[in-house]
This record gives sequence, C-alpha cells and structure tokens, in this order.
Amino acid sequence: MSDSHGMTRRDLLRGAAAGLALSVPGLPRPAGAAEPDLAVISGDPAAAARKAVEALGGMSRFVRKGQRVVLKPNMSFASGPDRASNTHPAVVYAVAQMCLEAGAEQVMILDNPLQSAELCLRRAGVSDACKNLKNVYVRMFTDHKFFREIRVPQGKVLDRVEVIKEVLDSPVLISLPQAKSHSATGISMGVKGLMGLIWDRGSFHSKHNINQALADLATVLRPKLTVLDATRALTTGGPGGPGEIIKPNLVIAGTDPIAVDSFGVSVAPWYGQQFKGRQVEHLLAASQRGLGTVDIEQLNILRATA
Amino acid sequence: MRAAVQALSLLLFTLLFALANYRLPDWLPVDIYLRLDPLLGLSAVLAGRALIARALWGLVLIGATILIGRFFCAYVCPLGAILDFLDPVLFRRTKRRRLEADAKLRNVKYVTLILFSAAALAGTSLVYLLDPISLLTRTYTFGLFPPFVGVVNLLLDTVRPLAEAMRWMTVATMSYRQPVYYMSVITLLIFAGIVALGRLAPRFWCRYLCPLGALLSLFSPLGRLRRTVGPECPACGLCQDACPMGAAEDEGGTRPGECIQCRTCVAACPQDLIAFPASPRLLPAGESSRPDLSRRGFLYSMAGGVGLGFLVEQSPFAPLRDKQQLIRPPGALPEGEFLTTCIRCGECMKSCLTNTLQPSLWEAGLAGLWTPKLELRFAACEQECNVCGKVCPTQAIRSLSLEEKTHAKLGTAVLRKEMCLVWAQDKLCLICDEICPYDAIVFRTIEGYRRPAVVSSRCNGCGYCEQRCPVEGESAIVIAPIGQIRLRTGSYVAEAKKLQLDFKPNPGDDQFILKNEGLRVEPENKDTKGQSAKPPAAPSATKKPKGFL
Repeated sequence: MSDSHGMTRRDLLRGAAAGLALSVPGLPRPAGAAEPDLAVISGDPAAAARKAVEALGGMSRFVRKGQRVVLKPNMSFASGPDRASNTHPAVVYAVAQMCLEAGAEQVMILDNPLQSAELCLRRAGVSDACKNLKNVYVRMFTDHKFFREIRVPQGKVLDRVEVIKEVLDSPVLISLPQAKSHSATGISMGVKGLMGLIWDRGSFHSKHNINQALADLATVLRPKLTVLDATRALTTGGPGGPGEIIKPNLVIAGTDPIAVDSFGVSVAPWYGQQFKGRQVEHLLAASQRGLGTVDIEQLNILRATA
Repeated sequence: MRAAVQALSLLLFTLLFALANYRLPDWLPVDIYLRLDPLLGLSAVLAGRALIARALWGLVLIGATILIGRFFCAYVCPLGAILDFLDPVLFRRTKRRRLEADAKLRNVKYVTLILFSAAALAGTSLVYLLDPISLLTRTYTFGLFPPFVGVVNLLLDTVRPLAEAMRWMTVATMSYRQPVYYMSVITLLIFAGIVALGRLAPRFWCRYLCPLGALLSLFSPLGRLRRTVGPECPACGLCQDACPMGAAEDEGGTRPGECIQCRTCVAACPQDLIAFPASPRLLPAGESSRPDLSRRGFLYSMAGGVGLGFLVEQSPFAPLRDKQQLIRPPGALPEGEFLTTCIRCGECMKSCLTNTLQPSLWEAGLAGLWTPKLELRFAACEQECNVCGKVCPTQAIRSLSLEEKTHAKLGTAVLRKEMCLVWAQDKLCLICDEICPYDAIVFRTIEGYRRPAVVSSRCNGCGYCEQRCPVEGESAIVIAPIGQIRLRTGSYVAEAKKLQLDFKPNPGDDQFILKNEGLRVEPENKDTKGQSAKPPAAPSATKKPKGFL
C-alpha cells in the first residue's frame, strides 16, 4: 500500500458531496453521485455488510477488474463469533463475495494469529465460510519469510516495520475489523486491527508508545475501505475475551478508517463508559497525522436497515 | 512377499506417526505399535506397579508369537524393516565374516532384557533406551520429522517465486510450521549407530541387542510354524551364510528362538530342502526353547538391573522431585509414577500442537531422560488441544477430555516485578493480559499506574503469558509448578472445584477493577510514599481504562 491513495479520492468525493443533493437511501445511485462518508447499516451480518458497501457506491468503487485484494478481518483468536473477538465470518464472506463480483482476480484473507494458526483458522469460521468461493484464500502468515520491511517516512516512533508481503504487493486492502475493547489501546477496531499485518507486534508494547506506533502504522497501511463489524461488540475483556458482549447489530463502512472507528466507539459503552472517538488516544493521534476525521458530527452519515 | 509386508508395515507405522496431531480422532489408536509392544507394557507395569489398560495390547503380540513364532521381527517390526531395506544399500559391497563371538553376542539381548526388567522391578524405567518401537518412534520425532518438514519447506521456498508469478496462491502461501526439538542430534546418532552396526553382521541389532526380540524369542519356539530341513541335507552351509539372524545351525539344525521365519534360507537352499510347515504339535521333544544364557549370566544381569534401578533412585533428584518439578504435560501422572510409566517414545512431543513439549536432558536426572516437559518461553500449551494424552501408549499422560484437561492445572504464573515493563518501567504493556485465555491477569492501580497481577485461582499455567512477554531474555512472567494438579486417577474438574479454582473466567472482570478503582491501594500508597509527586497523574489513569484520554 503506497501512501497516498484513498485519501485524494475521499477528499474529492467529500468536496463533491458538499455541492450535490442528498441521495435517497436504499436506492441505487448513479455513478458520480455523492456517497455518504459513513454507511451505518443495522441487520443481519451478511446483509448489513452488503448494504453498507452498496451504500458507499458498491464494491466496484474500490476494486477494479483483475485486481488482487487483501481482506484483513480479525481472526487471530481461536474462538467463534459468539466470543466477539473475531470478525463474523458472514461479514467476511459477504465482502469477499462482493470483491469477486467486482471482478477481483483473487482475494486473500489474511491475519497473523495470536494463537495456533491452525486452530484460529478452524475456530474463527472464516475458512469454512469461504471455502466455496473460488480464488479466495484464507491464510495465516506466521513465518518471517512472508514479511517484508518497509520504511515509515511519516513515523514518529516507528522508522521501519515488517509487513506481510501480500499486503504490500496487492493494490487493494480492505479492513474488516471486529468492534471490541482492548486492554492496552481502549478499543480495537480498524486502526488497531492493522497491527495484525505486521511481524513484530511485541515491540509496539515493549519499545514504543503503542498509540503513537499505531498512528505511525496507519500512515503506511491505508485500507481503501473499512467495514467494521459491530453486529456484536466485546465491551470488556478485549481483545481476546471472554468478556461482556452487547449486540449493536450494526455494520459500519467508510473510506476513512479513523471516522469508521470513531463511529464504532460511539455505538457501545466500553468498560461501562461512553466515549467519543477523540478520547481514544490512537485514533486522536492518527487524526492528528491527517489520516482521517475523528470528530464525526459533521460527517454525512447514511443510516439504514438491511 | 516378505519385503512387501515389511514395506506395508513400515508405511503404516509412518502414517500413524504422521497422523499423531491435534486433530486426531478419538477412535484412532495412532500409538498402536507402541501398545502392541509387550516389552514396553511389561516394563511400565513393573516399574509403575500399576496395571495399564493399553499395555494389555501387548498380550496380542505375545499370543501371536506363541501361536505362530517370532514373525514380528521379520514382517512387522518397522525398525527391522528399515535395517533390512538399508542393508543392501549400505553394505552390498561389504564382506561380512561370521562373528566369532556370535554365541556370546547373542546372549547380550537377554542380558539387556533381564537388566531392564530387573531395573523396572527396582522402580526405574530404562527399557526405552533399547526398545525398538520406542527408539524408532523417538528417532522419527526428534531426528527425522524436523528435517523432513525443513526439506519440504525448502522445496516450497524454491518453487515459491514461480508460484507467485503464476498466481498459484495455494502453493505460493504454503509453508509448514517447522518443529524443533532438543536432543534431536543425539537421538539420530543413536539410530545411526544401530544402522552402522549392520556392517558387522546383517541385523546385528536384532540378533544381538534387541530386548524385544529377546522377549519374543522366549515364546517363539512354541510357534506352530517351524523350520524343517529335509534329511538329505548335505550341510553345504549356504543357509547359514544367508540367515540374517544366525538361526540356522550346522547340519540342518535350527535355533528356534532366533528364527524369525523370514524364509531367506528357503531361497538360499540349492536343493529346496527347507520348509516351514504348520506343525500341529507343540515343541518336539528334545528341542530346547531356552536361551543359552547361563544361570550365572542370568543372576548377574538380574543383580545388575536391580542394582542399577536402585542406584538411579539414590540421587538428589529423587527427594527433590516434589520440590523442583518440571512443568509436565496436562494429565501427567504424579512425578514418581510419571517417570516410571513414561516410555520416552516422543509421540506426545510429535503431536503437540504448539511444539512446547520438549524432551528433558538432565533436568530430572537419568530417570528423566527424554521425558516431556513444557518449554513455555518457546510456546504455550493450547487450551483447545488435548492430544498428548490421547497418543500416550502407557498413559503416563492421561487421556483427558478438553474440559478435564483444562482443569489439569500445570502451574501458576508468577510475575517478576523487577523485570516487568509495567512494574519496573511504567510502560504501557498488557500483553500478558491480552493473551491470557483465562483472564487470570488483572490490573490494579498502584502508585498511579494500572499494574498487572496474577489471580492464581484462575491461572491454569498454560504459559501464553510467559511465551508472549516482550521483555528480552527471560520472561517477566513465568509459570512455576505451584499448585499443579497431578492425579493418578479421578477427575481434575472435581479436584479443581475442591481447590476453588475457576478456569472459566468471569466476564465482568475488567468492570470489577474499574468500579473499584484501586480503592484499597490508595491509603497504602500515601503511607508508603511520602511525596505526592505521582498522584496527580493518577486520576485520569484510575478513572478511565487504558487507551482512553
């Protein structure tokens, strides 16, 4: 993922949106019409994910014919959807299917798991859900040889980071985080989820201020689209759980990863308290690097039910 | 025909070995070769002084040997198969003369048998050193399995650039976790030594050393398939040269204990005088079934074995066993019984999902060589896996359900505050908490910082914290054998309940901490710390969970 794509397009669209009339939710919109900044869809995980992406203009806005796509869900814990520490497999399936429909040559669904790779693959359910999709590969990369070091030019605490090669070599990265609490970073959604694509996670805790390091990482790993799975939210005991789970029944999609996360913060009380996106240190830090909008009040948010 | 049966048996042995992994279905006894080995069962029963259900399988082989003869060595034994297959490859050009010490050497296997059995009687298990099935399984695990995976990965790496270019993603992303073990070189060297001995005589190992062969030879003369040589035998000696076991005697005689019915002699006889007819009677009168070992030799071996077994126990390792325990696999018998029952086949270490099970070298003394221990800094014990007990042929590690296994507490995490990033350096590290599957790490506000602590009643010692701790070098949180549960019989769940342990964590844990906000800590803090330099930083840290501003 080289640095600037995603941003320019998003700015352009936002500029366009200001001048254009509001579109009717739920109806297919003509090309070039203003897409909302965020699509917040409630309903069943698969249907909500599909509708959320469609509300943003459809997957063809992000994936062109013949492109290779990397999806990054949370699947690094050996637990099923009921634990809410991994992205719901139905959400991953729906997004992978949409990528194929948009003409993706191949969809790689990746993570670097915290528990045994085999167990995570089995228990997270993504492998099973996607086994009938052609050209979709669900993989865990736990071997150093699958990573490549890149520089972090805008990094404040991070100079270099080793990232899964496939992510660096694919033109499209789509982030599919699960909404959950996190004992070190408060919440773990899109921005934190991208930490699953790097080799040395330990140093984020031991060497760096993790919140600054995450903001640094967000400067080099730029998903074109973030689809946040808040159908269930693990509000305590994250990231691995078990913990308290509430069911906002929402899927939140957007091109601005900070805005998506920021909205995600608002949908549930974390550790029993309501927070705003700006109160999450790593989101604030990322927005201060110009990576997105942490204050979502001004954004154009489309809400609908699937 | 025989080579085909041998190849099939070796293939089956290898296949069962390969299948020994965490996905193992309950009905599949991958350890069947080890169970069928009556010597391993006998020794474990003698040394452990307890009946082992799986060891009863050994009776099947004893029964078959009584019925048929010592066919096991020629047709079934995978080590015998390997030696037979390697023999023409390695020693085709080697001129091997008949060993002068043949008769004496042949007795060595009885000496090893008696020695190990006597040592077992004295309470020390040593039979694994030379038992062929244990030795070969061990060689597979430590010596052959890791290089095999290494070579496969190397091949995959070689084709990877091509696969990437062609977008063959299955191949491009394929890679297997490289298993690693301590003691792999020494284990392989012992195996190589056994193969190398073939230079002196074919099947040197089987003829002279193998204690299992010795045990079977005690019963094989009763077998109904017996070698007969026609009366016209001119005593040309060709069968004697051909026999890989030295079982053919001068002038058509047969050493009934040594004959493994391989029928090599049938092919070697120029006059087709040799046959293996099924005899309806037991041993014909006059033929001896006893090994040539003298009474004195027997007594010496017996005394040697008892003495050795006794001496092994006369070391500080024995009294220290209760104090300096290694972290053993979940479900391992109490240490003393564990050491006597474990046959060091390495099957548990092969199948271990995370590779944390490693052979001990000297940590438990001579009595503990090759016994499995957990190397938790390297890898943790996965709570969703219970394969080590499933594959244990002597049940030195009990086969437990996942629920039971979860309650077989391995030890307790101990936080070394002087090394912990949070305690010693006030850093924002919560990896142990993040990874702990049992929520046994809690954070308490101390001196204005939320610091980790272990709730020992929730810790089952899986070691994820020790493995993941980002401190360089030794971990700042280590599993000590404190509170480990080792039961010979009975339920671990019941035992854990009795001890008021709870490995199903309470989901409200973090809330509990937040609500309390370090209530008990505050006053202590002010007493011990005269200065109030730190407290101003405290409020935000105490009111809000970590990561929020």
